[in-house]
Parts: sequence; structure tokens; C-alpha cells
Amino acid sequence: MARFRVGTWIVLYLLALLIQVALLPQIFPNGYVPNVVLSVTVLIALYETPRRGMYAGLIGGLMQDLWAGRLIGLNALTFALLGYAIASLQQRIVHDPIFVPGLLAALSQVVVTPFQWLLLYVFGYHFSWLVFSRPLPVWILFSMLFTPALGGLLGFRTRSGKRTPYRSLSS
Amino acid sequence: MGGFLYRWRRLLITVLVVMVVTVSLSLTARIRGTVIGLSNIINTVVSPAESSMAFLGRETGIGISTVGDLFTLQQQNRKLKRQLLQYNSMKLELSEVLAENGQLRGLVGLEQKLGTWKLDPASIIARNPDSWFNTAVIDQGANNGLRTGMAVIVPQGVVGRVVAVSPGTATIMLILDPKSGIGAVDVRSQSTGVVLGQDPVTGLLQLQLFSHKPDILPGDVVATSGLSQYYPKGLLIGQVMSVAKNQFGLTETAVIKPAVDFNRLQTVMVVESHPSGTSIPPIFGGGQS
Repeated sequence: MARFRVGTWIVLYLLALLIQVALLPQIFPNGYVPNVVLSVTVLIALYETPRRGMYAGLIGGLMQDLWAGRLIGLNALTFALLGYAIASLQQRIVHDPIFVPGLLAALSQVVVTPFQWLLLYVFGYHFSWLVFSRPLPVWILFSMLFTPALGGLLGFRTRSGKRTPYRSLSS
Repeated sequence: MGGFLYRWRRLLITVLVVMVVTVSLSLTARIRGTVIGLSNIINTVVSPAESSMAFLGRETGIGISTVGDLFTLQQQNRKLKRQLLQYNSMKLELSEVLAENGQLRGLVGLEQKLGTWKLDPASIIARNPDSWFNTAVIDQGANNGLRTGMAVIVPQGVVGRVVAVSPGTATIMLILDPKSGIGAVDVRSQSTGVVLGQDPVTGLLQLQLFSHKPDILPGDVVATSGLSQYYPKGLLIGQVMSVAKNQFGLTETAVIKPAVDFNRLQTVMVVESHPSGTSIPPIFGGGQS
């Protein structure tokens, strides 16, 4: 059992945000920079209870909102719901170190993008959906590859080692 | 009562959190200045880490592009050899043009103007974590004399303006941002309007024209009009790609391709002061309006 403490979540989210604001913009074109906070939320929620998954998402999203300095609550709400949904889902599915995190992260990206577009629209940011969703394939591909890689790097394990005897690649 | 609250506590907490978040979203959608200030404090604290990460990213980017370049290098080499012959012949022509240009610059006194603009170079160390908001953090702040409202430019044209300042860093809002607006003028016809950030993905801008029947054509150059309190007159914004009537046909809107390549933006110049009423020197994309 290797559940991370809240302090560790914050450190992980801090690193994710640093990568997102300083490292990835050097590699990806403007507007196409993937969301690393989403990948971290999916990874944490995969090995947590729904309640803790929701808290993790809330913390990560709130940190991103504060960092961005625009709509406080946009990512907090999105990732809290995402954390809850992933953690609820993980209790009903088979565990796997590569395909499950990758597919769930990609699926999350597909769900999160229209949800955030809708929230932005409600709060006065009227982006065209066709343009808004253009980077989606890049983000999906990134999430599919990056999330399992990050999970392996961090040595994530399931909440109950007995129930699902999964061992990460790095352990 | 207590039993009721305890029984439904999870639902109540969830409803409460959703309400707080909704109120927060609603408030922060209106009071942008305070929220950006909050973000600026975070950026001040993490700016050393951001600088290191940006350096790492630049080096990684260079590494990746180098590997990619290997595949096209041979083909490019042949092409470049052919071009070299052409350029040698053009070189003689160019030296004549340069001499003529130098004389003209001397005539209109532009070299003198260049000296009176106080520009502060800065490096971009971080971008906004949300892809749909276009702000960036630079490594110069109040300690270097930067203040909110200062225009930010590069040799190709206008980049944006400073919206928040901390002692060591400053946040700039790029002209691509959905909340950005600049007073602009069509250099050819002098039709005026406002250039708005359209969307961050395509990187295009929207020129909302004031006149009912403006004279604007694809290919026209658009520069700052000087009517905005932030941007000096004559900064190059971009080029008109297409013109279309609005929904009710009352006004026209033009799509502008920015002169600045925002994907390759690394070093910028903050305009600390400039002579009142003068256009920016042509070396920074201005001088026409």
C-alpha cells in the first residue's frame, strides 16, 4: 500500500505545473501545451478512494488556477470531479500499469476539454469549439504516453497490494 | 437536526464546495486585476525554478529539433548550394540598397529617434498553465524599473503589455489573449479599429473596425493607432488575411496574422519610455503610420 500524503500531492502538482509552464512551452507550439496536472490527477486517483481522489483533484486544480491567475475554480472544479470519477471507476476495473492509466488519461482529456469549454463559455470566454478542440489529438496522445511513463517513474502501486498484485516497472 | 446533518454531510459538503467554486468563478471573471496579482506572487516565489526549467526546455527543444534536422539536412544542403549562387549575385545589389537606405535614414533623423526609446530586454521564463489564456512571465520586474501598462515588443512587432509586476518578475499579457485589446490602424487606408485576441490555438487576431464602410483589404499592414493608453503609435501588429461582414452586416471584421511568431518568443523588449507622439523606429516594425 503506497498511498501518497497530501504534502506529496502538492509537491507532485508543483513539479507538474513547473513542467507545464516552463518546460513544455519550449517544445509544443502555443495553444498546444498539454496539461500535466490532468495526468497527475489521473495517476493519484487511480490508487485512491473516491473522496481522496476528489481532494487531490481539487488541490491540483486550485494550484493551477492560482498559478494561471484568471478564473479561480475552473480547474479546481474540473479536476475534483475528474479525481472522483477516476477513483470510483478504478474500483470496478482491472489494474494494469500501462494501458489502464494511459486509456483513462486519454478518456479524461476527451471529457475535460468540452467541460472546460462549456465553463469558459458560461463565464464570458466565447471560443469557437472547432478551434478550441483542435489540439485535442495532441493532448490525447501526450496523456496516453506520459501518464503511464510518469506512473512507472514514481513507482505508483495499487491501494491494496493483496487485492491486485501489481508491481510498477521501477520497483 | 444534528442527525440529519451528519447523515447528509457528504452531500452537503459537495453542494457547499460547488457553490463556493461557482461564486469564485463568477467573481474572478470580473475582478481580473486582483487575481493576476495573486498569480504574480506565486510566480515570484517559483521564478528561479521556472528559469531553470525554461533553460532545460530550450536545450531539450534544440536537441529534438537537431535530431529531426538530420533527416532533411542532405536535401537542404543541395538546395542551399543552389541558393548560394543566387545570393552571391544579389549581394552586390544589396550593398547598393544598403548605402541608399543609410542615406535616407540619416535624412529623416530616425537614427536619432532610436536613441530616445528606452528599452529593457527580458527573457520569457514561463507561460500560463492554461492553454486558452495567453500570458507569460519575464525575468525583469519592478527592481528593473518595469511598471504595469508598459508595452512589450520584439523587432518583428508588438508582443503585449505588462499587466502585473513583482520585484524580480513581471507578467505580460500577449496580444493573443482573449481579453487583450489594442487600438489599431490600417496603414494604407488609415481605417481604425480594435485588435482583439481571437483564440490561442490558431494564433490569429481579430480587427473590429469602427467605420461602417471601412477601406481594408487582404494584405494590408495593421499597426497600433496610438489611441490606446498602453501602446505607442506605429507598432507593427500584423497583416490582414481576410475581411468579413459581421452577423448583421453593420460592421466589418478582419482576421489578422500577427507579425510576431509567438511560438519562438524567448527574448522581448519592454518599452520603459518613448518620446511622446513619435512612432517607433522602423527597426522595431514601425514608422509607417
